Amino acid sequence: MDKYSEEQLLEKLRDPRTQRQGFAILVSEYSERLYWQIRKMVLSHEDTNDILQDVFIKAWINIDNFRGESKLTTWLYRIAINESITFLNKKRNQNNVSVDDENSFLLNTLEGDKYFDGDEAQKLLQQAILTLPDKQRLVFQMKYFDEMKYEDMSEILGTSVGALKASYHHAVKKIENFLTDSN
Amino acid sequence: METKINKLSEIEKRNPFTVPEDYFSRFNEHIMARLPEKEIVEPKKVSMWDKAKPWVYMAAMFMGIFFTIQLLTRNTTNQVATISSTQFTDDYWSTVQITEEEFYQYLEEQLVNDGYYDYMYNQVYMN
Repeated sequence: MDKYSEEQLLEKLRDPRTQRQGFAILVSEYSERLYWQIRKMVLSHEDTNDILQDVFIKAWINIDNFRGESKLTTWLYRIAINESITFLNKKRNQNNVSVDDENSFLLNTLEGDKYFDGDEAQKLLQQAILTLPDKQRLVFQMKYFDEMKYEDMSEILGTSVGALKASYHHAVKKIENFLTDSN
Repeated sequence: METKINKLSEIEKRNPFTVPEDYFSRFNEHIMARLPEKEIVEPKKVSMWDKAKPWVYMAAMFMGIFFTIQLLTRNTTNQVATISSTQFTDDYWSTVQITEEEFYQYLEEQLVNDGYYDYMYNQVYMN
């Protein structure tokens, strides 16, 4: 498939006659990236699949309102992150999880997931990451695994580069403390 | 012997999560089939009159304002003229040496004298 620039893609998306074709291109170009963004937050493949579908349906319904003030990537990432966090909050409410134990319910997901093939060290790392609050976890995932630039993260998350750097370094420290305490 | 991990750098940086085979290609087809249909609305053709309408309305509004101002200022000018002539007359009587009553008396005397002269002329020259 030919690679489209953002301008070319937007042109297709803005014309009602080519909008569906343009959206198919959007899905093929972004589905994998968005999948992993969601998966790292919610851990389960099934939940990720559901959320990813919701993301694209919301994007389809609202594409006519997209004004191009931000990049398409940024816009899609924001929808994906919002949907992920909404999902996690809903799960916490359903499980009556206390504030201190924010993400412990996700550990069960990790244990039972057939689509997780990490070794013990990987599992320990994931457990450490789960001790972080959602937003900090997001920052850590985006920086550590996706190696995203702080400037790009800033645009997506609406947080300053300085705050993101501080958040990431603090996250690394917390994780390493967890690893040491687990020994 | 169990290896103790203290640093993040001691853990291999890789994605430990996997997906079912062909998941992404199947997902793309599935989501496109799920998208609700949207009504294609043809762009409305804008006629010349529709384009000109706002300008015409604005011009009419300014014309209306102009004529209203004209009407209001014309009455005011007439009043000013009337006021000025009255004021002039009032000012005139304040500057002359005789009173208004004396002036009218003078005019009446002139009329009487003119009538006398006419009579005399007719008597002496016309008869």
